[in-house]
Amino acid sequence: MELQGLPRMQTKANPGFFKRNPPIVGEAEAIEAAKNGDPDAFSKLYALHKRRVYTLCLRMLGNVSEAEDMTQEAFLHLFRKLGSFRGESAFSTWLHRLTVNLVLMHLRKKGLQLVSLEETINPSEDDAPKRDFGSRDTMLSGSVDRVTLERAVASLPPGYRMVFVLHDVEGFEHNEIATMLECSTGNSKSQLHKARLKLRELLRQPQSLAPLEGLDGAEAVTEGAR
Amino acid sequence: MRDLHTANLDDLTPAEFEDYLPELFAAGGGKITENPRFKNFLAANPDCAALVSDLETIAEHAKSLFEPMHEPSDKVWSNIASKLKEPAPEED
Repeated sequence: MELQGLPRMQTKANPGFFKRNPPIVGEAEAIEAAKNGDPDAFSKLYALHKRRVYTLCLRMLGNVSEAEDMTQEAFLHLFRKLGSFRGESAFSTWLHRLTVNLVLMHLRKKGLQLVSLEETINPSEDDAPKRDFGSRDTMLSGSVDRVTLERAVASLPPGYRMVFVLHDVEGFEHNEIATMLECSTGNSKSQLHKARLKLRELLRQPQSLAPLEGLDGAEAVTEGAR
Repeated sequence: MRDLHTANLDDLTPAEFEDYLPELFAAGGGKITENPRFKNFLAANPDCAALVSDLETIAEHAKSLFEPMHEPSDKVWSNIASKLKEPAPEED
């Protein structure tokens, strides 16, 4: 990957990702055909991966318009870089890394500049999870509604949300996240823990979580529709 | 981040235990609530047990978010298709 200002990601095969990203029927053929300039094959790759790429962008950015723009950018970038895909990792893993790097670069370019991502990672006192164990009678009791969890994740401060989505949802390892976010591995672990603590607080008061543009309701693709 | 290997679990306070949690969760190897090493401590500290159980629940349910997909609008592909017809931009 040759994104300006971002470190090159390792392409070492990650067994966890192959487990979560099993090969898709027809994907390998579509990749090879697309490498040779077949527009229909690239269209097929888009159809196969658009939801995952868009969902990842939406979670990282929390905004439909920006998420669609970044989805577009990710696939245009994919079209230009497809020839460099060597198959050392699952294609979807490779595409996810490419997307994450593009989103991070986009965030750095925005006013936030991610002055240093380290700073964005540290939320204000108000946003930080409270250091107490809370009451046992409001335990999550082993089940969390998916939509509620989605809303709670979207309510996290950006730095927490980024690490939580990358680690707990997308399955990246802490060392990979540290490389991507230009922070230490310890920082990634610590931020993930704080993100989960904050989520615990949020999930104990689900009625206070607002519905989300693009993440609730009609735009979500149900299991049965896929 | 504190070193787990030098920790004396019998003398841990709940606050100290929480300091170890980021590393404990990152170490993997199954659920903390099912780890015999922490059985006595968690039994003696139900608030810590509740905290760990909740964090494990959150981490477990987060995996389910990997699957639900959201659909970009049709204009995204339209834009991509029209851009692909344009001359390639210079390499970045």
